[in-house]
Amino acid sequence: MFLKKGFKIFSLFILFIFIFIIFYLALFQNQKDFEPRVMIGKKMPNLISQSLFDNSNKSLDQIFSNEILVVNIFASWCAPCKIEHPFLMKLKQNNIKIIGINYKDNSKNAKNFLEKYKNPYQEVLIDSKGELSINLGVFGVPETFVVDKNFKIIDKHIGPIDNKFVNKILKLK
Amino acid sequence: MKYLLIFFIIFYSFANASEIETRSISITKNLRCLVCEGQSVYESNSDFANDIKNFVKKEIKKNKTDKEIYQFLISKYGESILFNPPLSLKNIALWLGPILFFLMGAFIIFRRLNVTK
Repeated sequence: MFLKKGFKIFSLFILFIFIFIIFYLALFQNQKDFEPRVMIGKKMPNLISQSLFDNSNKSLDQIFSNEILVVNIFASWCAPCKIEHPFLMKLKQNNIKIIGINYKDNSKNAKNFLEKYKNPYQEVLIDSKGELSINLGVFGVPETFVVDKNFKIIDKHIGPIDNKFVNKILKLK
Repeated sequence: MKYLLIFFIIFYSFANASEIETRSISITKNLRCLVCEGQSVYESNSDFANDIKNFVKKEIKKNKTDKEIYQFLISKYGESILFNPPLSLKNIALWLGPILFFLMGAFIIFRRLNVTK
């Protein structure tokens, strides 16, 4: 009788722990719908597309020169891109190479945007159909990737970059 | 003969287009729109969903299998892009939990019935 009661309590205890773990994982792990860090640690895809400046086909590995590289997805129609623009300029002033991916934009508008706000990019690749962005696992604009000396993605920022992010990149130099 | 050939070419291109469309719908219905609230890529009209829809159609035209398309998207966006993720260590509790509860319930009922007898 005593053993039976003990077994019941033990079973209830195990059941309680099991339910607790499931609820804990579901509610308190602060998981987002998307996994922004999936691409981190992977080799940067070698994106090939037309340059915004001279219409020639360019690839990322042609531009890459074994130093920290920042790849920024932007568009002239994207309001948060204007917010992050001064921070991109700050990176440029600190000799960080930035490649722009111009997402679903009109080339004329993109050029006007860079004329008006100044150009922080060494090169801009056109992504008129959003295909380069899928290859990078992009969710929207703006989005920024940091590539290390081995052409590996080491960080990713969704939304406009800020001073904190700029300082983080400058420390990598 | 010439008209018959033209008819077959037109018929084939329509049949092919409809097959691409059907496969694309079936794949995008199982893809989560990661920037929307609980919508599939098929249901959403966001930029993200439209890019994925175009990508899926393009890959089907390249003769890629459904598995290859899913695997590419998982490598870029993680398993959360699937509405029906495969069994893994991370989600094993969710897959086995209901079966476990069912077995426990059956066991309790079985014991109760035996005790009352």
